[in-house]
Amino acid sequence: MFEHFAAGARTAVTAALDEARHRGDRRLGTEHLLLGVLHARELDPLGALGLDLPRARAALEALDVAALAAVGIDVRGVERAPVPLSGKRTPFTSAARTALRRAVGVTREQGGRRIKPAHLLLALLECPPPDPAAEVFRELGVDRSAVRAELRPKAA
Amino acid sequence: MEETELAARLRSHDPAVGLRAVGALHRLAEQVEAAAVARARQDGWSWEQIGDALGVSRQSVHSKHGK
Repeated sequence: MFEHFAAGARTAVTAALDEARHRGDRRLGTEHLLLGVLHARELDPLGALGLDLPRARAALEALDVAALAAVGIDVRGVERAPVPLSGKRTPFTSAARTALRRAVGVTREQGGRRIKPAHLLLALLECPPPDPAAEVFRELGVDRSAVRAELRPKAA
Repeated sequence: MEETELAARLRSHDPAVGLRAVGALHRLAEQVEAAAVARARQDGWSWEQIGDALGVSRQSVHSKHGK
């Protein structure tokens, strides 16, 4: 499947893998694909719509902090460090695989031949709740249709 | 502490919150481990002592953190 990926989209998947492992996740999910895709410089203009890498990372962290608070754990002041990368395999979640397949479909619809970061992000925008990427978009308060409108020309 | 909206959702048995909390606990454990192992090494602990403290083998803690 990855042979259809343009360089930027390959980089996004590699970055997603690092994001997942450094957080201590055992699987690569749609939330990691979202972080990975936001590494692409060509998507920097989305910052104006409230969508960029630091804010998406912070949103994921805020969701965790809130969920931990809900089970009575206060992580403020706790010393934490990024988890070291290991040689262990990090398989994709089924939602992440579905999103990658959808990116192929989005690319074809837009008349493209190679999957670019914009196609991947368009596919992630379609993830239905309670998908983790959908949760991040909700936490960020991102206007999905505005992001789509911004992405369409880049995806052509 | 004032009850947050999330705590209320959890007590109302919203599975989304409970499931995310489980994932967050796992991530927290991994991140606290990474920080504590680095600090133990700085303080001169051997890999064997760290492994014993974590309840894993010297080899497994070294292969995970020993870079």
